[in-house]
Amino acid sequence: MSWMLRVILVLTSVMTCFWILRKIRKSQVRIEDSVFWLLFSLGLILLSLFPQLASWAANLIGVVSPVNFVFLSIIFVLMLKLFLLSIKTSQQEHKLQSFVQNYAIREKEKEDFHKMETGGGAGRPY
Amino acid sequence: MKVLMIIPAYNEAENIAAVIRHLAAEAPEVDYVVVNDCSKDSTAAVCKENGFHLISLPINLGIGGGVQTGYLYALEKGYDIAVQFDGDGQHDAAYIKDLIAPIESGQADVVIGSRFVENKGFQSSAARRFGIRFLSGLIKLLCGVRVRDVTSGMRAVNRGMIEKFAQNYAQDYPEPEAILFSALAHARIMEVPVQMRERQGGTSSINLVRSMYYMVKVSIALMVARVSMRGECG
Repeated sequence: MSWMLRVILVLTSVMTCFWILRKIRKSQVRIEDSVFWLLFSLGLILLSLFPQLASWAANLIGVVSPVNFVFLSIIFVLMLKLFLLSIKTSQQEHKLQSFVQNYAIREKEKEDFHKMETGGGAGRPY
Repeated sequence: MKVLMIIPAYNEAENIAAVIRHLAAEAPEVDYVVVNDCSKDSTAAVCKENGFHLISLPINLGIGGGVQTGYLYALEKGYDIAVQFDGDGQHDAAYIKDLIAPIESGQADVVIGSRFVENKGFQSSAARRFGIRFLSGLIKLLCGVRVRDVTSGMRAVNRGMIEKFAQNYAQDYPEPEAILFSALAHARIMEVPVQMRERQGGTSSINLVRSMYYMVKVSIALMVARVSMRGECG
């Protein structure tokens, strides 16, 4: 790997890490949610500082090119993260739906109660 | 027994008043509630003007979420039977008693109003009938229960199924999935013959262009549901 490329990689990963840190602080991301991104950007810094790590790991599992190993592992990690996110949005949708349904039913009850109080017909208003 | 008609309505301002009046004339002994799924037209206003029983969702949930709201309401208010009935005028209130009868007599837990028992009335296009037959076959394959009109939105369920549906109801295209769910929960499912009409105004929420996508999506959803429900319902 050329000297130039390494400098670019290190600079980029360090800047990414700082950028992520700043965003997390500013947008008040919950700590549990920010842990993943902190570790991820730290990993990037490590890889750019010690590219031997990638070569070593690639060798270990029999991947010919270290670059391929880096792509493979990062894509895999991101894929898992995306899947977990998808589960989370699904759960949130579900929670929102329950909330909306309950809210709408309470609204109807309130209206019925109001109708009864004002004598607007406790019967069946077809 | 206390019966609640659940009438999901999305952009049905043209139809809803006629549907409810027809319902009141044909089946005055049952209660009903219109679930307005955050319609963009004046559905809610029409219902309020007429003093109809209305649950108005503040955001659009889709047909599954709307119908489930009705089941939640039925559960809370202690209804023994819930009947799903479309707000677009396709369904004929004259058949309500036929839907309810097998549940009242304890013969069935779920009763589907089916166009294909006697093959009378509006039968849908050939392509759609083929699709329905395919889904019917798939459901038979997955749970061993044969239901012919799996996409019929006219159905009645007993208290036990009200409880189950209030907890868990399929979202996007819920009709076939709800049948599978019922079958896997060991509900006794029965079809009774009904006649349906073509929609009287507005446009159907499923157009023909989307039908292929619908088939693929529903088929996959059914298979996933089968696998994921195995543990619960055995």
